Amino acid sequence: MALLEVRGLHKVFGHGRSAVPAVRGVDLDIERGETLGLVGESGCGKTTLGRVVVGLQAPTEGEITFDGEVLDGKLSRPEYRKRVQMVFQHPAQSLNRRMRVNTTLSEPLRLLDVAAKDEIRGRVDQVLRLVGLGPDYLLRGPRQLSGGQQQRIAIARALMPDPDLVVLDEPTSSLDQSVRGRIIALLRSIQAERGVAYLFISHDLSTVRRIADRVAVMYLGRIVEVAPTERIFEDPQHPYTKALLSAVPSMDLDTRGTRIILEGETPSPSELPSGCSFQDRCPLVHERCRTEDPVLRPHGGDRMVECFAVTERAR
Amino acid sequence: MSLLEVRDLTVGVERSPHTLLREVGFTVEPGEIVGLVGESGSGKTMASLAIMGLLPRGIELRAGSVTLDGRELVDPATGEIHRTANEMTMIFQHPRSALNPTMRAGRQIARVLELNQQMESREARDEAVGMLSRVGIPGAGRVARAYPHQLSGGMCQRVMIAMALACKPKVLIADEPTTALDVTIQAQIFDLINELVDETGTGVLFITHDLGAIAEMCDRVTVLYGGQVMERGTLRQVFTDPRHPYTTYLFDAVEREVDPRVEEKGVNFALQGCRFGHRCPYVHEACAEFPPLYPVGDGHVASCFLHGGTDGTS
Repeated sequence: MALLEVRGLHKVFGHGRSAVPAVRGVDLDIERGETLGLVGESGCGKTTLGRVVVGLQAPTEGEITFDGEVLDGKLSRPEYRKRVQMVFQHPAQSLNRRMRVNTTLSEPLRLLDVAAKDEIRGRVDQVLRLVGLGPDYLLRGPRQLSGGQQQRIAIARALMPDPDLVVLDEPTSSLDQSVRGRIIALLRSIQAERGVAYLFISHDLSTVRRIADRVAVMYLGRIVEVAPTERIFEDPQHPYTKALLSAVPSMDLDTRGTRIILEGETPSPSELPSGCSFQDRCPLVHERCRTEDPVLRPHGGDRMVECFAVTERAR
Repeated sequence: MSLLEVRDLTVGVERSPHTLLREVGFTVEPGEIVGLVGESGSGKTMASLAIMGLLPRGIELRAGSVTLDGRELVDPATGEIHRTANEMTMIFQHPRSALNPTMRAGRQIARVLELNQQMESREARDEAVGMLSRVGIPGAGRVARAYPHQLSGGMCQRVMIAMALACKPKVLIADEPTTALDVTIQAQIFDLINELVDETGTGVLFITHDLGAIAEMCDRVTVLYGGQVMERGTLRQVFTDPRHPYTTYLFDAVEREVDPRVEEKGVNFALQGCRFGHRCPYVHEACAEFPPLYPVGDGHVASCFLHGGTDGTS
């Protein structure tokens, strides 16, 4: 049984004619101690999905099971909050500017009532060491920290209640390349030590490749392909995954000019065509894609693909 | 003679020992895309602002020369750079904030045409729609009537490019033009820039932190760190045979296994010696001095004493 099981999840913002479906029927599993990368372009619904999983937003429809328990409207309860935490993209904005590191890190323990008062100091020191910062940072405020240090503190804060799952929403996107490398290495070493699972949300495919065990690709509110990381990167199957991967500029001079260039832009989620949502940009589009909704189907062992052209051909 | 030639450009903070750019130089030829690559704080944006004559208040040009088509742009009397808005234009990282939010997209382009090409308003309006379809916008007439907030980021960047090209510039400075865009839209914009360069022979200075984007787009590349040119050469020279320890470091940063508990140190802009000294595995006493650019190949230079003859190992 997986740590987290998401079934038939929908999230719609607004009502009636102005309704925007951000997540449109997502099934997702995250195992204990694994890292699931969630990739897609802006507006695909990856952040919304992450926020629903953490309980910051209530799902419109669908079921979330955590550690065997169905969470029906219980997402905001302290018991769940202790076990599922979140790290945001901009540490400068997500840390309280008026709080010193010490307070930022001890606050979750007090609020969630995880540790006795005399234990708190010890746990703060321990987690601070875990993220590579010493006790001399305890009395600093966020503005006395660099971007990389701020993100380390944000990660430390999320780790304070010793969660089973951390949702990381673009945790390295605002950082420089060299700092990014260290944060990724840090996240991996924390996982090795504590066995925490990550839902790693990012538009940056090369970063996801370095940290994820499995990758789910999202397009317009649906997961179109999910597979172990190397299978996604070495042999993508869904035409959108293919285009997305080939669009990433490569440092390899020999592949220059071999990109698949998609035409047009992602359609607005409030004006979706019937059938497959990728139909207007897809090189493999045929009659059936315009009338019938494709669903995620197994395609060769541990991979799932949502595309008639791919899964039917294999039959 | 190069189309754009920047030599020994030195820029600092007024009344302070901080030097943000130190003896920076590179050239751009017609129809060529030249990359300027570096991490945040490397001085790549400062260099482009200096060339455009747009240095912020409190930042001064201390030395150097910028020539466009052989014409010196630095005023010897004031030490300021002449603005050449219609010969050199710039596109920015955040296209939506670079556009006027209260003016329709087509009107913004038409104004450039009226001011720079002395067109009549009706003619400029038609030409603006023409420019929009040239940058690959379907339904250009409709987009011309839209305000920036009604357009996507990719669309806004196309409008910016159309506006920049309306001046028929000799040089286009593209400062992280696709960093705020999704990769599939980035691929479309890259394609567009390549196409326009082939068509018009405009020289492009392409500024980015993304080594992949450099590899896709550029003919030659200059690597900056802490306001110092570390290495300069053709794309192939720099990517297949990097000669500066920083360049190697930058390439490895993508893949390298690092100690997660150790933090990156920042640049000291008041430093006299090599700016990379504090992170360099080959640092020695000589590095307390500013290293000149040593030739390491045909048109390939590196600012490192490792290639400097006396104690050099090149």
